[in-house]
Amino acid sequence: MRTNIIIIVSLFALLTGGCEDKPVPVPFEPTPYEIDIPFGFPTNLNIPDDNPMTVEGIQLGRYLFYDGRLSGRTEPDSLMSCATCHRQERSFEAGVDHPDFPGGFPHGLTGLQTHHVMLPMINLVWNSTGYGWSGFLYPDNPVEELRNIEDFVRLTVLAKDEIDGDTATVKNLFQTIDGYPQLFEKAFGSSTVTFRNIERAIAQFVRTLISSNSKFDKYMRGEVQLSQSELNGYVLFTTEEGADCFHCHGGFGNPLFTTHLFYNNGKDTEFTDPMDRFSISGDPMDHGAYKATTLRNIEVQGPYMHDGRFATLEEVIDFYSHELQVSPYINPLMHHINNGGIQLIPTEREDLLNFIKTLRDDEFLTNENFSSPDSFPDEK
Amino acid sequence: MNSKIKTNKVLLTTLPGPLDSGRLIITKFTILITIIAAILIVSSCDNNSADPIVSSGKLKLEFLHNIDGQPIIYDSLMYFNEAGNHYLVSEIQYFISDVTLHQSDGTTLLLDSWEDIHYVDTDIDETKTYYLKDDIASGDFSRISFTFGINEEKNNSLMFVNPPKSFMFWPENLGGGYHYLKLNGKWINELEQVSPYNFHLGIGQIYYSYPDSITGFVQNYFTVEMPELLFDIKENETTTLQIVMNVDSWFSSPHTYDHNQWGGDIMQKQDAMAQAVENGHNVFSYNTK
Repeated sequence: MRTNIIIIVSLFALLTGGCEDKPVPVPFEPTPYEIDIPFGFPTNLNIPDDNPMTVEGIQLGRYLFYDGRLSGRTEPDSLMSCATCHRQERSFEAGVDHPDFPGGFPHGLTGLQTHHVMLPMINLVWNSTGYGWSGFLYPDNPVEELRNIEDFVRLTVLAKDEIDGDTATVKNLFQTIDGYPQLFEKAFGSSTVTFRNIERAIAQFVRTLISSNSKFDKYMRGEVQLSQSELNGYVLFTTEEGADCFHCHGGFGNPLFTTHLFYNNGKDTEFTDPMDRFSISGDPMDHGAYKATTLRNIEVQGPYMHDGRFATLEEVIDFYSHELQVSPYINPLMHHINNGGIQLIPTEREDLLNFIKTLRDDEFLTNENFSSPDSFPDEK
Repeated sequence: MNSKIKTNKVLLTTLPGPLDSGRLIITKFTILITIIAAILIVSSCDNNSADPIVSSGKLKLEFLHNIDGQPIIYDSLMYFNEAGNHYLVSEIQYFISDVTLHQSDGTTLLLDSWEDIHYVDTDIDETKTYYLKDDIASGDFSRISFTFGINEEKNNSLMFVNPPKSFMFWPENLGGGYHYLKLNGKWINELEQVSPYNFHLGIGQIYYSYPDSITGFVQNYFTVEMPELLFDIKENETTTLQIVMNVDSWFSSPHTYDHNQWGGDIMQKQDAMAQAVENGHNVFSYNTK
């Protein structure tokens, strides 16, 4: 009996010991965010182990993506964010109608034009072969600082032809803006703003930018039928005797509508660009090779090709139809090269264009989850 | 075995206990443990008598790609095929499946019957080694065979959603499923132009009016029956076979395949693919490592 009393007293002491006035640490438990894999899409995702996606991280990333103070400056004429160039209505490209970048050729805060035009910022969570026209950011890059979207954020802030800022100034600025430290705490467990966490948050938001509900997606799911012209274009798109787009740009079996691989597609005969695929791979056959862009939402993007030489899709189709340039570096998939192209007649050109337009995803282009927030944390 | 049970009994029944009820619980517990142990022992004896332990090993296939008996030098215009085409090879991608081991008495063993359709890509080193998952009973074997491509039952669209396998998709309107083979390169055509060729195999089409009206499809996958090669699978060891694709053979026997005749693309040319299929039976050789 005496033993039992001792045990009871001891247990009571143990249980009530936690009632002292010591601060109780709140466990950091952000809400995991899971990507729903759309029909036919890859199940392998490019999400770094050190940056798991969370609801809080994505929310913070969305603010940062749209906040012009990412430039590290506060003067109205010195603001620049990701969204300054990456416009949702243009599938997060600049678009030829960009109000500040005529023809869709972006320049940085200092007025220096970017070396290449932009790539669409969609479905990037499925890109594991390399980001950028040359694929210079890739997961197993021996240079650890050049591997993923997170690194792209830092490079954008530092680049002379983009923000031309410095990471310390940027993180210090956000530390002082009301509301942001709290958001960093929710997302990463600390209210101390670090640039690494700025990178992480923006990258998390970018990985949510998924386009998968175009007319063609609905056709794949059996929800709608394509018009006869669109079907004709689809056949052209997916046949070697037609336009043979699918080997590089996907289709039913590869709904990313890109391989994310790099091809010399016959634009030139001389290659002097120091930032082509050759600059990364060192393979001589990669002279003049660039990433095959996704054709999703391609209708609203532009200008086209790495140097933005074509303003319209019609020009692009005409190029592939009749204007290919022979060089020793042409990719072997360009088997129509010696004919100058795929030789489409006007009706085929129209059909192909109509099919490509079925890849426009209006739901994505207007999705409020991806758009600029109504107000920033210090405006609430 | 019985001594083990007795030992348990002793251990349990001699445990000190302050209460009589505790001893009772321990005694019941001891009986229960004894029964379970006995059942386990008896059942394990049964298993031993019914299914004697069979020693087993593993099989690994390594894929090599040669022309004229030498490893290919890619993107180098230095080869001549049987038809006299001066050509180069840029890349090769293909599937093999249904690997089967044959014994001299005619017994066959189909490995990894459904799960593994192996993808080989000359640009991706790790694909050039295929570790078959199955445990293989130790023994002597006389040869292997495999399916080049994917058979009709398995070749379903969207079964590979992840790259690089998904990039092998074969368009639905041309029969669907996946390319069995992509062999891409260039040759000097009759006009002395360097011209790309895409030597691609997959489901063929029968046309009412080429290239628009398709009336039927042709399954072009085929079984490669490799010649005799004695090898054995040893207990707890991995046997390695080197499978060599002799690329020049795609263009030689029994048909002299001429790029100038078929042009740069053959996905919609069943006659060309039929020649490739028949030549394909003679493309592979192998050896033990």
